Amino acid sequence: MTTVTIQEARARVTVGIFAEMPDAAAATTPSGDAAEAALEFLTEMSPDLRGAAILGPDKEVLAGTGEEPERWAEDAAALFEVADGAEDAPVEQIHIATEQGEVFAVRNAGLAAVTVTDRFALASLMLFDMRSTLRQLATPNFGPPEGTKPRKGDG
Amino acid sequence: MPPKPHRVLLNRVSLYADEAAAFMRRRRVARRPFARLYYPHGRSADHAQDSRSGAELFVAAGRLIEVAGKKPKG
Repeated sequence: MTTVTIQEARARVTVGIFAEMPDAAAATTPSGDAAEAALEFLTEMSPDLRGAAILGPDKEVLAGTGEEPERWAEDAAALFEVADGAEDAPVEQIHIATEQGEVFAVRNAGLAAVTVTDRFALASLMLFDMRSTLRQLATPNFGPPEGTKPRKGDG
Repeated sequence: MPPKPHRVLLNRVSLYADEAAAFMRRRRVARRPFARLYYPHGRSADHAQDSRSGAELFVAAGRLIEVAGKKPKG
């Protein structure tokens, strides 16, 4: 059928187009204040979140929760290193569910976000929020989208 | 005497709610730890806990959970 051919071609061509598009890197490293604002927004959006950090292009902590935010850098780098080495290919997202909680990590536009949540957090929403936060943070004029309301009470 | 129509509807909704609750309960009990990596073009790969890469991923995740600490109350 013609329709099927078009859909197949569209899927093949679209994948090809995306493959040729480089991952948009942040033009400049976001400021600490912008990263703090992004982290605060992410925390508000995700009621299951226990802790999180946003890392810059050089794996430095731009913003992090907890008493020792610097600790995120080393452990997040270790996680990405292990994940990249699992199949000798760079990963985009990581989701690890343990008995103690769940770990999510996303790389986008040269930045990285790592979050730890309670068990059974909604993975797709968590990853979507993290990805969109990083994407917005990478834009020069970062600001939480207007009219966006936190999902508090959804959990 | 046939049941009233709204009773049928209520029973049906209750049935679905019970099924959903049971599914969620089974999911919580049966769900095992897992490590899933997502690659470009939507590909993903699961790594078993007893594999070498899986074990390393769980160790790294455990450290991050430790860094995050407990959930702040309130």
